[in-house]
Amino acid sequence: MSTQPAGFKSWLFTTDHKKIGVMYLVTSLVFFVVGLLLALIMRTEQLDLTKKVIIDADLFNTAFTIHGAAMVLFWMIPVLLGFLANYMIPLMIGAHDVAFPRLNALSFWLYVGAGLIAVCALILPGRLDTGWTGYPPYSIVGPANTAFYVFAVHLLGASSIAGAVNFITTIITLRAPGMTWGRLNLTVWGLFGAFIIQIVGVPVLAAAVTLLLFDKYLGTSFYDGTKGGSPILYEHLFWFYAHPAVYVVALPVFGVVSDIISTFSRKKVYGYTSMAIAIMIITVVGFETWVHHLYVAGTLNWTRVVFMWGTIAIGVPTGIKTFNWLATLHKGSIELTTPMLHALGFISLFTIGGVTGIANGLLGFDIQVHDTHWVVAHFHYVLAISMSMLCMGAIYYWFPKFTGKMYNESLGKTAFWITLIGAMIAFLPQFHLGYDGIPRRYWKLPAKYGPEMKVAVIFSYITIVGFLMTLYNFVHSAIKGKKAPANPWNSLSLEWQIPSPPPFYNFENIPTITDGPYEYGKPADNTVKAH
Amino acid sequence: MENVMHGGKSEVHHHEVELSVWPLITAVGAFLLPISFMTSFSWGLSSVGIILAGVAVVILIVGLFGWLNEVHAKKEDAGLSKIAILVFIASEVALFGGLFAGYLYAMLFTGTWPPANTPEGVPPVMLAIPMTIFLLSSSFTIHTAEDKLAHGDMGGFKGWLTFTTILGALFIAFMVYEWHHLIAVENFTVRTNEYGTFFYTITGFHGSHVIVGLVMQIFCMILAAGAKIGKNRQTLMKVTGLYWHFVDLVWLLVVSLIYVVPFLKAGQ
Repeated sequence: MSTQPAGFKSWLFTTDHKKIGVMYLVTSLVFFVVGLLLALIMRTEQLDLTKKVIIDADLFNTAFTIHGAAMVLFWMIPVLLGFLANYMIPLMIGAHDVAFPRLNALSFWLYVGAGLIAVCALILPGRLDTGWTGYPPYSIVGPANTAFYVFAVHLLGASSIAGAVNFITTIITLRAPGMTWGRLNLTVWGLFGAFIIQIVGVPVLAAAVTLLLFDKYLGTSFYDGTKGGSPILYEHLFWFYAHPAVYVVALPVFGVVSDIISTFSRKKVYGYTSMAIAIMIITVVGFETWVHHLYVAGTLNWTRVVFMWGTIAIGVPTGIKTFNWLATLHKGSIELTTPMLHALGFISLFTIGGVTGIANGLLGFDIQVHDTHWVVAHFHYVLAISMSMLCMGAIYYWFPKFTGKMYNESLGKTAFWITLIGAMIAFLPQFHLGYDGIPRRYWKLPAKYGPEMKVAVIFSYITIVGFLMTLYNFVHSAIKGKKAPANPWNSLSLEWQIPSPPPFYNFENIPTITDGPYEYGKPADNTVKAH
Repeated sequence: MENVMHGGKSEVHHHEVELSVWPLITAVGAFLLPISFMTSFSWGLSSVGIILAGVAVVILIVGLFGWLNEVHAKKEDAGLSKIAILVFIASEVALFGGLFAGYLYAMLFTGTWPPANTPEGVPPVMLAIPMTIFLLSSSFTIHTAEDKLAHGDMGGFKGWLTFTTILGALFIAFMVYEWHHLIAVENFTVRTNEYGTFFYTITGFHGSHVIVGLVMQIFCMILAAGAKIGKNRQTLMKVTGLYWHFVDLVWLLVVSLIYVVPFLKAGQ
């Protein structure tokens, strides 16, 4: 056994999945803070709907562009597919590391490179103001330096594909003896589905933005209507990935919710098999929904109807999951720890988002609310805030494992309630605005919506304060927290059966697995004791 | 603990690698490429951009070769790359799927295809015939090379692999000639029309994949010269072979959709 390398170099040149995971976590949290600050600025701007408060309309465009890109591409996807997958998959399947440790390091550094370009797009001349969607013709003829956007997507895409190749291979080949597909944590199942979506989707997005680059700098005519091209082609190629990207975030989140709820209800996940199948169905059906972003763009009529059904159909596996969570809670021995509160808070926010999503997917209704504040409200409930909240829950849940320290429980709970109260109300007014047909992404809105926007602004401040308190809890506890036991939750899942933080080699010897991660309530359960 | 796992077999544990400089070097190369493009096109410093691009490519190649060399310095060969390359090829299928979907979208929604202002000599099907022969036969030669390697015939392996690389290089040479001919003689460029736009993009994407395949073959050759590839270490060669077959397969799609279909339609 070689000794563990230490010092500065041990991070820079590391190929250890745990160190790479921690670097992913720190980097993605930085982008989360950037996204939050931009949200804070945009909301403050809407305190007064008649005149400039702090930024002008041009900067506002850049703010929402980078806010969207930072939150989706640099925070949520990396924290789940970077941090969580890296740190937890080898521990959960019983492996020493991932299949390709060097490729794993390359994935991380490419992500950092993409992040640097994204920061340039926020501060250098030619600031990106196209929205995170980068639609032509504006992205081609507008003043923004579209190359920032394209290359950030390229580097991030290369990082994502390398990561997906690595983890799919890892999950297929490196499971410990006895770790059958039916004994995988649902977190691993969710990540597996997410990586499949990355493999199929990311290259198409990369192609779409490459053609954008050619149009802008080489004079091609893919998306230029005046030269025989079609901007709608871009929308198709873009949303082919960018809609399933929502499931890239959602599937691991669903898995984590199952893990947390099972642990803190001390009950087996209700309907494990249906949960895993639902994840795989969402992986596939996720690719039959993208045209709902083009309902009013002028696509063929039959595609709108077909994809409307796809959009509605995806509510079924999602509903199965939600009801299974409730059934898992039913008659459980529930312990309301901070991670558990986050999981429950996620379910309530996600349900509001999910139900409004079904409405949003209906062709007739969408024509009224398309591209309005209604959509903004919907996806902040279903994706942005609910899933960010659950990511916080996931970090809390595994905090003792990867830091070896306990977080501050009472601060964690306080921060949770503040975040939840803010999140529940912050976007409610926007459903009304959207219903009235007020378009999203506008710098100023009609003055009569002033009172409603003030409510939205104040509660968004509350949400942000809640999140910042959580982040403070992480930083403070990582430095000064009490030492954590190996298994503070008495979980049966494999990653909790080794010391906290895990030793360099994870497992002294590769274990042989004899039971699933959720088998609570069996007599053998008594043998699991906190150390 | 006992109810989820047993004590485990006693085995020598090997953490594959602890520290490696190559991923970071490779990432720096990959990062400098877009920076060089932006230096040329966004910030108007084309000569600086070209120098940067050269530096980036060198760093990238040094990084990747150092990487492969490090992997091949070890004794054991887990062979996991065979599964990985299949997953990676799935993502390449998606990439070309996206491009061809865009091409078909343009073709089906445009009245005449190729559009009326396409020059007479386009698509150059006569050039595509030898190119197809080169690539298809190279699939057989690389298969033979793999076969020789599996039987430990290193001389035969190196010979057939070199033959494959020559066929691939011939393909690229013909492609360069074809592009030059179309641009200089036929005056057919990316700006001519939708067809020109897609023609150069898709053949260019495919050509760049052929070049990647050739670089992989050259890496294999260098490693074979250093006796780092052999009967007991075939994974990299198998991966190269699978990738090369995939590139050939894509060429069949390129030839039928980008050359033959417009050729037949233009002849109507």
